[in-house]
Amino acid sequence: MSTSLIRPRLLLALALLGVGAGLSVAAWNGPSDAMLVPRVVLSIWCLVAVLIAVTELVKGAPTVALSFSPLPLLMMAVLAAALAMKHIGFLLPSLPLVALTLWLFRVRRPLPLMLATTLIAGGLWFLFHHVLLIRLPSLLTSGVV
Amino acid sequence: MKTLRYSLAALTLIGTVHTAVAADTLDIVVPFAAGGATDIVARSFEPVFSQQMGVTSVVRNVAGASATVGTAEVADNEGNPNIIGYEPAGALTIQPSLKNLPYGPDSFTYICRTVSNPMFLMVSKSSDIESFQQLADASQEYPFLYGSSGPGTLPHLAMAALVANSDLKAEHVPYSGSGPAMNALAGDEIQVMADTETILENYDLRPLAVFADQRVEGYEDVPAIQELGLPSMEFAVWQGVVAPQGISEERASQYAEACKETLESDHFLEFAERAKADIAYLGPDDFKAFVQQRFEANQQVLRDTGLMQ
Amino acid sequence: MDVILAAVGDAVAWKVLVAIVVGTWAGIIIGGLPGLGSVVGLTIFLPFTFGMDTIMSMALLIGVYCGSVYGGSITAILINTPGTPQSAATTFDGYPMTQQGRVDEALGWATFASFFGGVLSCVLLIFCAPQLARFAVNFGSIEVFALVCLAMLCIVGVSQGSVLKGLLCGMMGFVFSMVGSDSITGADRFTFGSYALSSGFDLIPVVVGTFALSEVFMRLADRDDKAANIPEASLRFPHPREILRRLIELIRGSFIGSFIGALPGTGAATSAFISYAVAQKLSPRRSRLGKGEPDGIIASESSNNAVTGSSFIPTLALGIPGDVVTAMMMGAMVIHGITPGVRLMVDQAQTVYALFVVLIIVNVAMLVLSKPSIGLFRYLFKLPRGYVMAGIVMFCFIGAVSVRGNPLDAVVAALTGMLAYALRCGGYPLAPLVIGMVLGPQLESSLRRGLLIERGDFLGFFTHSGIATTLFVLIGLFLIWTLWSSLARRRAGPTCRSDLSHSINR
Repeated sequence: MSTSLIRPRLLLALALLGVGAGLSVAAWNGPSDAMLVPRVVLSIWCLVAVLIAVTELVKGAPTVALSFSPLPLLMMAVLAAALAMKHIGFLLPSLPLVALTLWLFRVRRPLPLMLATTLIAGGLWFLFHHVLLIRLPSLLTSGVV
Repeated sequence: MKTLRYSLAALTLIGTVHTAVAADTLDIVVPFAAGGATDIVARSFEPVFSQQMGVTSVVRNVAGASATVGTAEVADNEGNPNIIGYEPAGALTIQPSLKNLPYGPDSFTYICRTVSNPMFLMVSKSSDIESFQQLADASQEYPFLYGSSGPGTLPHLAMAALVANSDLKAEHVPYSGSGPAMNALAGDEIQVMADTETILENYDLRPLAVFADQRVEGYEDVPAIQELGLPSMEFAVWQGVVAPQGISEERASQYAEACKETLESDHFLEFAERAKADIAYLGPDDFKAFVQQRFEANQQVLRDTGLMQ
Repeated sequence: MDVILAAVGDAVAWKVLVAIVVGTWAGIIIGGLPGLGSVVGLTIFLPFTFGMDTIMSMALLIGVYCGSVYGGSITAILINTPGTPQSAATTFDGYPMTQQGRVDEALGWATFASFFGGVLSCVLLIFCAPQLARFAVNFGSIEVFALVCLAMLCIVGVSQGSVLKGLLCGMMGFVFSMVGSDSITGADRFTFGSYALSSGFDLIPVVVGTFALSEVFMRLADRDDKAANIPEASLRFPHPREILRRLIELIRGSFIGSFIGALPGTGAATSAFISYAVAQKLSPRRSRLGKGEPDGIIASESSNNAVTGSSFIPTLALGIPGDVVTAMMMGAMVIHGITPGVRLMVDQAQTVYALFVVLIIVNVAMLVLSKPSIGLFRYLFKLPRGYVMAGIVMFCFIGAVSVRGNPLDAVVAALTGMLAYALRCGGYPLAPLVIGMVLGPQLESSLRRGLLIERGDFLGFFTHSGIATTLFVLIGLFLIWTLWSSLARRRAGPTCRSDLSHSINR
């Protein structure tokens, strides 16, 4: 039993059930008029999540072998860049993010890597922020960067 | 070949940096999506205003949460001389009482009020109700429904105040904007609505009263609320320019001057005429006092009608 | 007659034609780039219209609008990432076709269906605008509630692989849409006291994360797999005989789109889902839907482009904007001194007729420009995959932060991207998440408004009006039909689950 619990699909179903249950608590504590529909929706959520968890448990899907993957790295980088944007503007976090994405997708020769980073992060930022005047988050109060 | 590529890259970089440093732009935050009723006034205001200021400016639409996100963005930029907000009435004088916001009426340097339009009480032209008295009488048997462009908006507040202070019996049904509410009025889903002259003129509507102390020019046969034997209720949809706190006095007076000039310019006058926006200039001090007064009055209404605990 | 001729003269002036070509092409490209959609496209072009005359600026904006609705389908088909939420339903059949090597055919159908839907809705707009507007006015909250219920059944249809998982994703999308102020009482929901959450989740960052970012994550796993390359795409228009064979699908999709577009406050994404749900019941090839059947593309694309024309019906006939985009157009009209409203058709007949002509030309321009635009995307996607993926990540961020100017929307996109990746790996269909998020708020607000109108009596919904009763009966039939056919299928023999799953088939 203990080994079968660490199956990712089952864990995902249980996690979704947990989130649904947590939100249900918030919904039942809230005002009854505004929370009427959320209560119904979250009840369906929890019910369905239980059913899925049971199915996954019965089905016994294969466990995946753990292997090194750069995916968590990219995910963390995307999240970190997104979080940083509010504080240090759009340009600064996107340069390393683009460079990392390129690196992970096997663009590794220095010149193409550098050029593509400048062009994709810097170029698009410049195009939207300064040419099309769609203001992206900025670092300086003057809005330059 | 390689050197050429390198130098090209370097040139691009230098070009980018150069242009970026040269630009010092004024951000005009509009707390609604582009193309909305407030946005178009702001976008007509912007070119003349920036010309008066002698800077380049950009309209930035920061929408969401009843216009409070954009307003909070302005308040958050304390001491930044390159950002102003083009603000609607609700975000400055209603929302701070309803929600826990990171700003209050004291969080801004007030520049000027630009336009203000009184609100009318109106019914569909296809209905046979011709006066407020008829409306109130007809509502006794079966309460009417009134629409609004959302909970806690001026149309909601005006009607809630009217219902609380008169014989009219009506209940609130909020919509996602004036447009959908008008559709509901046309389909007789709701029967009454309070909104501005623009709405009144664009749709088949009949004004019953105006939420002001006197009758309004152009609508001389529409009675003011006070004439109906009701307490004074003043509701108008207005907009104004605010800057964050902590900017220099010099900058503030520069803004105020530019705003006054803009409102007197032919370009803006012509626009206001077309868009049926009544120019109603108030200078920094008057505007500040006005916002404070409206904030308190609206808070009173919210308390009286039980919308605010 | 003079008015019409003068209007045609206004509309075919070279300045206007240039505006149409520029607007449409830019629209197709903006729509095709994941993350940038109609709203961002129009925000980019709105400032340019200030210096133009009325017809020219309308031409530019209409071009951008129609182009972006069509453009979204290109990336939906090529890389399983709808460029705009309006094209989310196009991925159901578009991407399976690409995987089967029928990408040219899929793009051809998407293009032709978009053109067909656009033109048919223009024709309806020209000849039946007042009638349709009068009918649409009868669609109050309760009728809209019934209609959205009908569309919600689409969730069951598009998650045949696992109805339970589809349902869970639908509910998740629904809950996403609830975060922030309640649209009826204004109370904060699921914000946990945080001001940042009180503005809620916008649709665009969620769609961007769900489809585009999770696609980047998926592709990182098989980055060395040559077979996972993006196919070389070109455009092959369907043969006239094929068009005739599927004419009824085209007409049905276009009519559904035209009608939904005429209802204020619904929009193109809703209509694409409703149209797909209907096709699942009525298409003669319905058993193949979801596995690469052109009827699915037709259902989605003909109806979402039909919305572009008919969303002008409430705008022109009543002065009520049909959706965010037409609201923006109305703003542009006011700037140019045209006041939309009940008297527009009378006061500004020439402008209105010119607008009709412009709409038709835009749809023709879309058809003509589809080839070079797809060529451009083919060229972009032929670049080494790293450049494409880095570009997609950037456009995701730009689209997310610019749709309403909130930098925190980038975080929303990043988090939903990670969630969507986990869901994909767990075999959950993603489309229901978007369906829940698009339809959820409409379902909820129309239900609660209906309850206010009926003074809390839910049973009153069924007898509220003839239209409402009809729609509820239809929903009942729909449910019975679905249950009956699934029972019949079960009796006929076990179904093969593996080949029914789609849009997550890697």
